[in-house]
Amino acid sequence: MSRSTQAPKALRGAGNWIDDRFHLAKTGEKNLRKVFPNHWSFMLGEIALYSFIILLLTGVFLTLWFKPSMAEIVYDGSYERLNGVTMSEAYASTLYIDFDVRGGFLVRQIHHWAALIFVSSLVVHMLRVFFTGAFRKPREINWLIGVAIFTLAMLEGLFGYSLPDDLPSGMGVRILQGVMLSLPVIGTYVSMFLFGGEFPGHDIIPRLYMIHILLIPGILLALIAAHFMILWHQKHTQYPGTGRSNKKVVGTPMFPGFAVKAGGFFFFVFAVTVGLSAFVQINPVHLFGPFTPTSITSGLQPDWYMGFMEGSLRLFPNWFDINIAGYAIPTGVLVPGLVIPGLLFGGLAAWPFLEAWITKDKRHHNMADRPRNAPVRTGLGAAGITIYGLLWVAGANDIISETFSISLYALSWFFRFAVIIGPFIAFMVTKRICLGLQRRDRETLEHGYESGTIQQLPSGEFIEVHKESSTDTVHVLQSKEPVERIVVDADGVDDNGVESPEKRSLSGGLRSRLAHWFTKDNISFEGVRPHSGHHLHHGGHSEETAAEQPAATH
Amino acid sequence: MKWITARRRHPLAGYVVVILALTLFGVGYAYLAPGADRAEAQTLAAEATADDEQTDYALGRDIFTQSCASCHGDAGTGSQNAPDITDAGAAAIDFQVSTGRMPSMNPDAQMPRKPPAFTQDEIDALITYYEAEIGSGPAIPEEVPGTAPERADFEDEEAYEAAHAEYEASYEAYLDGAEDVEAGMKLYLTNCAHCHSWSGEGGALTDGKWAPELHEASPRQLYEAMVTGPGQMPVFNDMTITPEEKQDLIAYVKDLQAEPNAGGIFDLNRIGQVAEGFIGWTVGLSLIVACAIWITAKQRAHD
Ligand code: HEC
Ligand code: HEC
Ligand code: HEM
Repeated sequence: MSRSTQAPKALRGAGNWIDDRFHLAKTGEKNLRKVFPNHWSFMLGEIALYSFIILLLTGVFLTLWFKPSMAEIVYDGSYERLNGVTMSEAYASTLYIDFDVRGGFLVRQIHHWAALIFVSSLVVHMLRVFFTGAFRKPREINWLIGVAIFTLAMLEGLFGYSLPDDLPSGMGVRILQGVMLSLPVIGTYVSMFLFGGEFPGHDIIPRLYMIHILLIPGILLALIAAHFMILWHQKHTQYPGTGRSNKKVVGTPMFPGFAVKAGGFFFFVFAVTVGLSAFVQINPVHLFGPFTPTSITSGLQPDWYMGFMEGSLRLFPNWFDINIAGYAIPTGVLVPGLVIPGLLFGGLAAWPFLEAWITKDKRHHNMADRPRNAPVRTGLGAAGITIYGLLWVAGANDIISETFSISLYALSWFFRFAVIIGPFIAFMVTKRICLGLQRRDRETLEHGYESGTIQQLPSGEFIEVHKESSTDTVHVLQSKEPVERIVVDADGVDDNGVESPEKRSLSGGLRSRLAHWFTKDNISFEGVRPHSGHHLHHGGHSEETAAEQPAATH
Repeated sequence: MKWITARRRHPLAGYVVVILALTLFGVGYAYLAPGADRAEAQTLAAEATADDEQTDYALGRDIFTQSCASCHGDAGTGSQNAPDITDAGAAAIDFQVSTGRMPSMNPDAQMPRKPPAFTQDEIDALITYYEAEIGSGPAIPEEVPGTAPERADFEDEEAYEAAHAEYEASYEAYLDGAEDVEAGMKLYLTNCAHCHSWSGEGGALTDGKWAPELHEASPRQLYEAMVTGPGQMPVFNDMTITPEEKQDLIAYVKDLQAEPNAGGIFDLNRIGQVAEGFIGWTVGLSLIVACAIWITAKQRAHD
């Protein structure tokens, strides 16, 4: 890149004018040269940012015509099929956006597709952060902000989905009200408060509208700004590699390399969203018809990001519904509707602190973990994905039952068991795979990689020639941090027969047992020198024992 | 047998054996499958039509004894395999046979819609016999347009075209005669959509049963389904939903189905959010992530 070329005179003039007044050149220079690591998984968060921008722009467009009012009118407009039908102004104005506003239909579809892509990019972005341990010190706050963004994005989507007052909207709001009502004692009051009286009333859409276009976007915007400022300050984590360390970031400078890429990427995200919106029909509110409290239909789901809650509501049995002193406690709604999502988000928020507590790891981490090098965390992540995924799929059980001609009951029972057993299997399998990969890493580190060339030695023995891995590979392999294996024996005494003070408290005992569980299967790389194995130096066979030894390290 | 031995190891021998085996299975299945007696009934019926002397009554009797009596009994009073149809009525016979549900292949399972085993003339003959000998019940709503005429039922093109045009006209007239879109929509969304879904796409019911999609049903079949309540479906007789309301309802269903997909050429079968989410992930997000991989990979070669 030719950095030495002078900018055109006009630009230079303007630049100097600004600089004379604000002295930005220095800070500007520093920030523009900020380095961004090059890895596709670091772009996932950007997808979220770009789709959020698309949502803001298209959302503002929609507000120009959308009327958040539940006043009843008789439709008389361009969509002839529904002429003469009584509906709310909200629904009628959505039809107006679709059929009378130039480009309105497209923009509505862009807004909705962008919403789907926005939340899905948040999910993959979060998974990347989780599996690489990028939430560890010093980035816990940004992780918490991320969890908040995710939660708010789901709510934002739910409320947006409820605005057009079409059939699915109304059914979604009805379920929301059902979940609220399940709250013991305060349920009815909360519902009356939100709806301004009985369901559906006349207040809910204006209220949801205010929340949807003002409150949540405002909070989201603030959170996103904070997220980026913290990121800017702390810099990205990076994957291990040559020249990269906890102190030094390697990548493309912000300007021009990264800015050009990011700009191009924005347009790609925009193109995909618009492409989908132009060709694939989404949420055809004009076909659904307006919501009336007596209308109900099968085959309707919420948008995908609420799918796991739909699934948990569908799967959870009503066996535990109880009645206390005349108050019904519908656990069949309360647990799947509030407790399960609460556990999910609570667990996500608490994890960085839990992990730090268990491992007693107080160091700064700027290097991303390779997921295999944290087998328990990776396994837990896989278990979480399994629970979430199964609940999500279960939310579509009627569609699956119909599409594949499987009995609905059989399917529900399958999911009930799978949701309980699945995560354990996922945990064990994933952890085993991680450990296997670690073993292979150690072997590659020690012996180089298998070149595929077979050689016959003078003694007649056949061997496969191993070649030395590149320095980059060696760096990556060596990035595994040493893990101290924490041992607890039955009575919690150390080698000298002294009971550790931690053991005496309940939480301390729990911690050390968790720590043991966390580290017990660690595969130590201690004492492994790169390319010291016998396949490279066809000497004696003493390495055989050297290879055995590290496995027994404490 | 020598030539077989000689060719046993021919490279194509394996394929020949597989093809022979498949043919054998295919032919064997065709003989043994339950379709066989339906086919038989059909030829029998065809022979019967050929015979001008035979009245509707006799044709109907033959069809009934050949294809129905085995399950529903000679007098239609039912057996452990099948219900009593003495009070099912002409509408039920017409609905069940014209949608291909009856004659049933498997009395233990819900029957899907199939091409009917009999022509409309044969069904009419069957109904003549049914009304004379077996029983009575809801009548066929003759004023509601039934199934569109088939080219195969006509000798020449012209007669077919004429019949088709007449059918189209009555179809349009029936739908246009519906007065109240709102009533039709409310009736459908209140009474039918929780099983057949808002789009008529159908849906799963409990116990391995399902509500079928409504796209192929003619207005008359829709009407008959309501008055007879096949299988798991409740009966909506003319007291609960009046004939005018039925007309509104049917017009709503048919108009909705004829509605183009304004939102794009891919309508995702009007399944809705599950399909949208699936596309959002598999097409939308995947393309974007692929692009991210591409952008960052290109760079790597330079640094
Ligand atoms: C293999 C056995 C079998 C044969 C053959 C058969 N049916 Fe049926 N039929 C059934 C069963 C089982 C049902 C109940 C279906 C259900 O409830 O979904 C039924 C239901 C019916 C009904 C609906 C009854 C009601 O109360 O709505 C009618 C009408 C009927 N059959 C007519 C016929 C006619 C006409 C034929 C001959 C063309 C025929 N069936 C042949 C098994 C059979
Ligand atoms: C309880 C669920 C349920 C409700 C409510 C219901 N149906 Fe059905 N419907 C069914 C089932 C189940 C069948 C299939 C019956 C069989 O094959 O034995 C069916 C079949 C039909 C068919 C035949 C479809 C075909 O193409 O073969 C039509 C038409 C139909 N229903 C119309 C309606 C209409 C109109 C309403 C509302 C007035 C309605 N249904 C309400 C469950 C229902
Ligand atoms: C965080 C991001 C957002 C998400 C996830 C989101 C999601 C949604 C969804 C799913 C709908 C239903 C669309 C449909 O009818 O198919 C919707 C509607 C709507 N959104 Fe948003 N939205 C977001 C941000 C915004 C913003 C920032 C605004 C305005 C400033 C806005 C304005 C609207 C309006 C006016 C509607 C109703 C119009 C209609 O349905 O046609 N949205 N939103």
